[in-house]
Amino acid sequence: MTGVLPGVAPMAVPPGAFLVVATLLFAIGLAGALLKRNALSIFLSIELMMNAVNLLFLTYARMRGDLAGQMIVFFVIAVAAAEAAVGLAIFVALFRAHRTVDVDKIALLKW
Amino acid sequence: MSPALAAALEGAAKIAFVWGVVLGAVLPNLIWVERRMAGLIQDRPGPNRVGPFGLFQAIADILKMFMKEDVVPMYADRLLHTIAPLILLVPAMSTFAVIPFGSSIRLFDRDISLVVADVNIGILYVFALTSIGIYGLVLAGWASNNKFALMGGLRSSAQVISYELAMGIAAISVFLAAGSLRLTKVVEYQASGTFLGFLPLWNCFPQALGCMIFVVSAFAETNRLPFDHPEAEAELVAGYHTEYSAFRFGMFFMAEYLNLIAASAMMATLYFGGWSLPGLHLTGIPGGVVSIAVFAAKTGFFIFLFVWVRWTLPRFRFDQLMNLGWKVFLPLALLNLIVTGALVLWGVI
Amino acid sequence: MPALSGELVVFGFASLLVLAFALLMVVQKTPVRSVLSLVVTFFGLSVLAILLAAPFIAALQIFVYAGAILVLFLFVIMLLNLKEEAADKDDRPVQRTLGLLVALALGGLLAGATLRAPLPPRGTPTGTPIPMPDEIPALGRLLFSDYLLAFEVLSLLLLVAAVGALLLSKRRFE
Repeated sequence: MTGVLPGVAPMAVPPGAFLVVATLLFAIGLAGALLKRNALSIFLSIELMMNAVNLLFLTYARMRGDLAGQMIVFFVIAVAAAEAAVGLAIFVALFRAHRTVDVDKIALLKW
Repeated sequence: MSPALAAALEGAAKIAFVWGVVLGAVLPNLIWVERRMAGLIQDRPGPNRVGPFGLFQAIADILKMFMKEDVVPMYADRLLHTIAPLILLVPAMSTFAVIPFGSSIRLFDRDISLVVADVNIGILYVFALTSIGIYGLVLAGWASNNKFALMGGLRSSAQVISYELAMGIAAISVFLAAGSLRLTKVVEYQASGTFLGFLPLWNCFPQALGCMIFVVSAFAETNRLPFDHPEAEAELVAGYHTEYSAFRFGMFFMAEYLNLIAASAMMATLYFGGWSLPGLHLTGIPGGVVSIAVFAAKTGFFIFLFVWVRWTLPRFRFDQLMNLGWKVFLPLALLNLIVTGALVLWGVI
Repeated sequence: MPALSGELVVFGFASLLVLAFALLMVVQKTPVRSVLSLVVTFFGLSVLAILLAAPFIAALQIFVYAGAILVLFLFVIMLLNLKEEAADKDDRPVQRTLGLLVALALGGLLAGATLRAPLPPRGTPTGTPIPMPDEIPALGRLLFSDYLLAFEVLSLLLLVAAVGALLLSKRRFE
């Protein structure tokens, strides 16, 4: 890492550490999304991936000394709220139709 | 003494003072006050056996809580059953960190502002802690493996979420007028002038609607009558704390009272001038002590109000409660926000 | 090796919390415990946000994400009464192993690429600088000036989402 831009206050914790944590978190979320069968658990893993990206945005905002990164995170959080509401409503409707939220069992489009 | 060490000691002393006063002096007396006032309002003596005027009733209650048998239901999730009261108790205790309980005093060549943590996000800290408390309610209901507890937990958390919204928007108007999210700035703003020439600039006067909404929502947030669905004995046994006994029940009890004290302190700070009294501008140590006394008096009045309303008003039905929160308070809070915005724009407040 | 400071200790503790509970969330069988592990993860992320000079985002993370969205998840899980994932005959071990390998490989690749990427060699940042002690008024000003359109569209999006969720989960009385 080439370090922070001139004119920006230095960070006490090296920024590379934050980036590593964020990418590891993303990988863990991805593993959860690929390995779980319960639709709600998959959704939770996706939320984890979004939060990893939020952390990445915040780190870059701090490194560049730019407030725009924090604004993006603000919007991502709000959009995640909207997405969670609609997604969960879909799962509730799915459950009412099939009595299960196991993604392996909901295979209606399979021939 | 290095500045870091001095700052740490100052913080520790403030925390010890706040928790010592709240947990040691206010909480036991609150238990006694509640039961005596209940007695007075219901035309009976109330507890008067344990100690003079029954003042040691709280000690008797706490001893009883410790000594009873701790029962965990059979198919309950043990881990969740254990941590649910903690999830409710810890935020209740942490809310006191941002409330300014006095003006600043000068001691040992340091200007000590009488607030444990003057964070720049002020009120958002309090709301965040309230949101965490919801988990305690829901988990207590779920982990008890009892349908009444689950219903009580879900109803209670739905109530808290609904009134949190109205309370938040009513509080936003306060911060709009004060210009900052810090609670110390809000109190300084209220001490700084007059409204319409003769009233102090306390937020309850220009934002009376917001004040009323906040006060009523605080009743709903702390699960006190007339909004105390989880404790509706006739309907839900004891709601989300049905399956809790002994010390765990004591923790729920303590959390409820701590929330009550914190809500009273918030009302005093946001709408009634906090530690300031109009026309009183003492400085130094006497100023600090007088400001602490003023704050304590205002908080005490609101605690008294909570207890008084509990034993006077009947309970709301759950659908009436939700109706009030979403269809009445939310639009009114938005109206209050618009009116306050207009007043700030025209320089009236 | 950076000097040991309070911030480094807090960072170490918070990142450990975040990663440990994220792993726990993926490993848990019961959905309720997954949600609770994610709540603790969000707490850790909130602390990391404070370290990155974003206290408002930290408060929002707890207030909105952990305190509202995850409570919604919890409500739905309790409504649907979801218990643990039952072990199944067609567990597809090959697919699961491949999935795990892909996740690990992608994680390593991303970490390497992010660490190697240099910052753009510009002299000054192009947007609004982060004001160092108090940043909330600056955030508000930015939100209502440069990002006003996005803000309005967002409120519309939330309205649409609320109406949509209501319609999707209505019981049809046929």
